[in-house]
Amino acid sequence: MQPIDLTGHISKRFNKELEELRNSVLTMGGLVETQLNSAIAAIVSGDSELGLAVARDDYKVNNLEVEIDEECSRVLATRAPAASDLRLIVAIIKTITDLERVGDEAEKIGFLASKLAAMDRPSDSYRELRSLGNHVLQMLKDAMDAFARLDTEAAYSVVREDELVDGEYEAITRQCVTFMMEDVRSIKRVMNVTWAARALERIGDHCKNICEYVIYMVEGRDVRHTDIADHDAAREE
Amino acid sequence: MRDARRKFVLGIALLLAGGAIIGWLYGRPFIGLATAAIVALAWQVRQLLVFERALRTGDFEELRYSRGIWAQIYAEYNYQRYRGQKYRRRYKRLLKEVRNSTKALPDGAVLLNADFEILTCNPASDELAGFRGRQDRGQRVDNIVRDPAFTEYLRSRQFDRAVEIRSPLYDGQWLNLRIVPYGADQYLLLIRDITERIRLSKMRREFVANASHELRSPLTVISGYVDALSTDPETPETWKKPVVAMQEQAERMKTIISELLELSRLESATTDPGRERIDVCALLTSARKIYADRQDVAKIEIECVSPAILLGRASEIESVIANLLSNAVRHTPPSGRITLSWRAGPEGGLLAVEDTGEGIDPELIPRLTERFFRVNRGRSRADGGIGLGLAIVKHALGRHGAELEIESQVGKGSSFTCRFPVDRLVGAELVPLRAAGAQDADKA
Repeated sequence: MQPIDLTGHISKRFNKELEELRNSVLTMGGLVETQLNSAIAAIVSGDSELGLAVARDDYKVNNLEVEIDEECSRVLATRAPAASDLRLIVAIIKTITDLERVGDEAEKIGFLASKLAAMDRPSDSYRELRSLGNHVLQMLKDAMDAFARLDTEAAYSVVREDELVDGEYEAITRQCVTFMMEDVRSIKRVMNVTWAARALERIGDHCKNICEYVIYMVEGRDVRHTDIADHDAAREE
Repeated sequence: MRDARRKFVLGIALLLAGGAIIGWLYGRPFIGLATAAIVALAWQVRQLLVFERALRTGDFEELRYSRGIWAQIYAEYNYQRYRGQKYRRRYKRLLKEVRNSTKALPDGAVLLNADFEILTCNPASDELAGFRGRQDRGQRVDNIVRDPAFTEYLRSRQFDRAVEIRSPLYDGQWLNLRIVPYGADQYLLLIRDITERIRLSKMRREFVANASHELRSPLTVISGYVDALSTDPETPETWKKPVVAMQEQAERMKTIISELLELSRLESATTDPGRERIDVCALLTSARKIYADRQDVAKIEIECVSPAILLGRASEIESVIANLLSNAVRHTPPSGRITLSWRAGPEGGLLAVEDTGEGIDPELIPRLTERFFRVNRGRSRADGGIGLGLAIVKHALGRHGAELEIESQVGKGSSFTCRFPVDRLVGAELVPLRAAGAQDADKA
């Protein structure tokens, strides 16, 4: 497998265009990371203003997606890239879709945070949500780092991490169901908590997807919908 | 060297001449010359081979004691090699020292090229922000630290300030990033851990907010009773005056507390002030109404040069105007004049409060926005100023990306101008600033 090297083209402009595309994906990633961070902070600290600000700022993520998408189409049309360049473009187009979804989930969490801020707060101030949120945030950071460094090792570990997030989500749902059975009046609030946890769990899935694109981009093989353990075994051989 | 060269050339010439003469004696001068040339060539080839072997094996014993041009070449070669080694050692030592000292730096340092791509970085930058020396070489710096504020900072290229961002590695840690340009298009990124400072200022803010809040409830009780006493007809005549004084002071304390709360709210607000549409001229008119019934204040005029709409938080802009106007009223005699004006153009929006009052000593101007700073402690206590107004103005403007400019001449008057950035204006293109200025001149 040829390693990805953006400097190996005869046309300097083409090098620059690909490099710019990669940079703008990471800029978008940075924006989404900040949005998610603020959304989680808003839920944990009960800051409704911050939550609404997150919801309001989602348009920036959307604009970036459209912009990068257009640039990708332009490069495809004018340069007709092949091999690793083509994989890079394809991976970018898919990555930004997932990033945009992460942005949407963050918007949703921000909105839920502003709603939850108006209700009574449990004594543990949503400790489980904070833990799940930090876990997912770390996954998003690792995914973007893997994308920046073309580090498949890190990408594989994020893909594995997603199972833990699913487990944590499962536990929160169970806990929420218990709360609702104990106290019927809390249902409205706990439902919102469940939605927030659900959004976080979805973000974990999107991070996993992004890492799969990174693996595709670098190694040229598609690891979606397959058992990651098989690949680990294959790689060790 | 020159001597050896002359000898060498002379030797060859003599040899060739000798060969030719011997050949001539035998009647065959050319054969003699050719023989001599072959002998000379064979000798030089042998010397060349010896020298080549010496270079290859590093054993120069055979050449060391020989003479002639080859020994000279050897000596020169050896000298240059020795000197090169000496310099290399010196540079290596120097480089090692530099590298060790950057390694020992507690602050992160990353060298960047003209495109902000990482050249090299020290271990502290890994600990603080996750830069990996070898792996990240050639990577754009904002691909690793992806905070939008930092990306914007790089794009703006305004490196006279620093940015403060959340650490990408640890929750609750804050970093200060500063770019220092040097050489031809090279940059040094310095990373400092400022968690402690952020924590302290947060603690201070929270302390002020909590203390003000806690002071408020006992004060409400006190002022309630004082109010009751002042209206109670049974209060003895001798107590009437003290009660009124108490009432005034309690009122004053209430103002201080509510302004402190307002200030700490402005300071701790992290979110954008929003983009409500504000009709500045309407705010100016309503601010003037407060003083409409009072005879003891200067004449207040309003100049609305631009219909431009300001985007921001109306309550904060209102408090900016109210504070600036109340300052102007307090420091301007009733015979004076106060002008409130709003103009806007492609360069930005200007909200100005000008008066013909007593003016401010230029040395004190930089200190005006400090908390509880008063130009004249004795007198402002009597007229209700508490020294928080301009601090509030400064913070409210800061949140809108605006700046406060203060100009003053003692005895002639002062002007306080708020300069809003153009991206907070709507409809500013209608009246450019310069034209607005000209219109002013016409009026005058």
